[in-house]
Amino acid sequence: MRIENITKPINNKNFKKIYKEYSYVFSFIILVIIAIAVNKQFLTYSNLSTLIMQSSIKGIIALGMTLVIISGEIDLSVGSTCALVAGLGVVVLNSTESIFIMLVFCIVFGTILGTINGLFIRKGKIASFIVTLATMSAYRSIIVQLGQGGPFNVSSEMYPTFRMIASGKILGIPNLAIIFIVISVGIAFLMQETKFGKYVYAVGSNENASKLTGIHVDRIKILCFSITGLLTGVSAFLLSSRLTSITAPNAAMSFELDAIAAVAIGGTAMSGGRGKIFGTFLGIIMLQMIEGILIAAKIPPFLNGLVKGVIIILAVLLQRKRTEK
Amino acid sequence: MFLQMKNISKNFGPVKALKDVSLEVGRGEIHGLMGENGAGKSTLMNILAGAFQPTTGEIYFNNERIHQMTTIKATEMGIRFIHQELNVVNDLKVYENLFLREEILKNFCFLDHKSMIKKSIEVFQRLKIDINPNELVSELDTSRKQLVEIAKALLFESKLIIMDEPTTALTNNEIENLFEIMRTLKKQGVSIIYISHKMPELFSICDRFTVLRDGKFINSGAFKDINEEEATEMLVGKSVSSIPLQRNEIMEDTIMTVEGLTCEPFFKDISFSLKKGEVIAITGLHGDGRGELAETLFGARKTTKGRITLNGRLLDLSSIREVMKAGIGMVPRNRKERSIISDMSIKDNLSMAYLTTEHKKLMVNKKEELERFRRNQELTGIKVGDPNDLITSLSGGNQQKVIIARWLELGSDIYILDNPTQGIDVGAKYEIYKLINALTKLKKSVILFSAEFPEIYKVADRCLVMYKGKINAELKKKEMTEMMVMYYATGSNMEGLKCESKT
Repeated sequence: MRIENITKPINNKNFKKIYKEYSYVFSFIILVIIAIAVNKQFLTYSNLSTLIMQSSIKGIIALGMTLVIISGEIDLSVGSTCALVAGLGVVVLNSTESIFIMLVFCIVFGTILGTINGLFIRKGKIASFIVTLATMSAYRSIIVQLGQGGPFNVSSEMYPTFRMIASGKILGIPNLAIIFIVISVGIAFLMQETKFGKYVYAVGSNENASKLTGIHVDRIKILCFSITGLLTGVSAFLLSSRLTSITAPNAAMSFELDAIAAVAIGGTAMSGGRGKIFGTFLGIIMLQMIEGILIAAKIPPFLNGLVKGVIIILAVLLQRKRTEK
Repeated sequence: MFLQMKNISKNFGPVKALKDVSLEVGRGEIHGLMGENGAGKSTLMNILAGAFQPTTGEIYFNNERIHQMTTIKATEMGIRFIHQELNVVNDLKVYENLFLREEILKNFCFLDHKSMIKKSIEVFQRLKIDINPNELVSELDTSRKQLVEIAKALLFESKLIIMDEPTTALTNNEIENLFEIMRTLKKQGVSIIYISHKMPELFSICDRFTVLRDGKFINSGAFKDINEEEATEMLVGKSVSSIPLQRNEIMEDTIMTVEGLTCEPFFKDISFSLKKGEVIAITGLHGDGRGELAETLFGARKTTKGRITLNGRLLDLSSIREVMKAGIGMVPRNRKERSIISDMSIKDNLSMAYLTTEHKKLMVNKKEELERFRRNQELTGIKVGDPNDLITSLSGGNQQKVIIARWLELGSDIYILDNPTQGIDVGAKYEIYKLINALTKLKKSVILFSAEFPEIYKVADRCLVMYKGKINAELKKKEMTEMMVMYYATGSNMEGLKCESKT
């Protein structure tokens, strides 16, 4: 049989293709230029490492959100999950006086909460939007009740060592930045190089077809929620270390908004099937940069939410334009 | 001329569905629009009915140039479209469907149920059918849904009715009644564009014809000037698809036996056996349970009774993965919705089934994947530039080859092909037939689910005809004619039995 080799000169069409796939990199570059314009100090090392550090806690959640959205679902409960795990995590820390046990607790408990979402969605056949809206409300309510509206404070014995996890540095690089980058690389590897990653894309792109090639669709989607829960648990651990005090009613508030926004800005299709972990990594940093730019441009901080809302709509609109062409 | 469509072209992205096609229909004329599947008939009619905008071309209706046709405008001008796919809303009652978007109102804003029901009964009487207007459409079987669709077009004063294969699901009596109504309409000056694959029907009811092939205008004229043979030649052209295929010897050993397979309410008590290297076709009309049977054979739908033996072992139908491992592969119908994963590359689409069943490692090796692709590309003749391109960059025929190659890689023995040539052009169809033939050379067996007789005749050794969820007849190659298939698919043999028992 003849194999047709279509020669492809580097032309307009190729550029378009690259742009289509990596448009989030272009938006990132534009944003960097704006950031430099409003803040001369932007490109300094300390500023950049602070930027990554500030993005990291939400960013780790956004990585999980990317999986869930690529698989064709959504998770609105991550903020409440984070608060619930963090609050109880502090209780565990204070009573066991072991940071390690707390870490294990956060990871296991987060995974369980995520899996519960997944089970309701796939085995109970309820839309993910509804299930996670319900658990968002439920998890938050539990932690507010347990704290009687007040904060969960890390005890004074644990405070000095525990605080250093999030605030410490290794070779001048903030720990949080290192952890965020390592987890990002790990998840990117999972999505690009393993069978599981391929299945997540396949399931999000075409559930029917995936089922007919032997993929256990339910299992893959539930696993995506479990992984999101796990990462939210890690994020809760880091959040408690950074704040050392979890105020139940508003800890990790609207993290789901930031995570979804980061995924959208990072070029992942809201309908599932397409998206990159690197995109979300840049996405959450872009969100943080926008906050910085707003402050530098003296725009009142109350308008942060408005700006984020507009950005989400714009990001998804641009995506639609790209796919239609 | 009453209707003129001049030099219509229509592109869907890079695909040229219509190239410079013209159509003229006179007042009170029944015009047969002919062409093979994918010739562009439906596209042309959708443009006329305002569902698509033509890329270029002009439409004149009643000697008036129509700009920017929309479906609403078309309806207002008296153009009615009876679609090939049923466009009824299952959750509404029959009369609500008939009057959808054209409800009769009383006191300015309230629905006048009474007169709508009355009018519905009138139109059904004209059609000589007994459908209760108060029944839910979901309760009706396919042929009756089709009749509701037809009734909808007759309900209002119309000037031009487009009928896109209206008779495929109808029994002979119902067809005769429809023809009678068409003749009456014709006398009243209504024009009809009639699309059908059935030559005898076209010759008996239509005045003039237009033939399309591969999106191009071929010929137009009066039916009385041509015979069936000439019509077929115009339809098919001197295309490659008329070259006969060389069939191989079928082996004697049976590879699969299906016994009493049942899945209520779709099909009941299906039994057949399949030999090594054999191609059997399973055919029938809409609502015969054929699609569900295909899914069940692949483990995608739960059975209520019955069993399948494969290679002497009982087949575990509990999960798709078990069926795949046992050696059955499937090319599902509706390629876009059920078989290609449109956001993934050509290579990944091919590998997917292998990854789920055979691949034991956690990581996916890119080099191995590429080798896998090249190997199967050679076997199936997939024409492709870069295997890392999206699967959607391929033509329908090549996409289908990728899907078939999925199972070759797994070494499957049996290939369930559910409507494999749907929406692909004539040349690519022939490529698929050749591929089916090549599969039998490798001692593979094929179960072909199809509604297209020429295709069945070309590749199948045996043909099972289904009617209402049961196998109504088994036809050997020698007995296969379009007439025989239709006779059993419409259940005419059973109608005959009923009549005898009554008298």
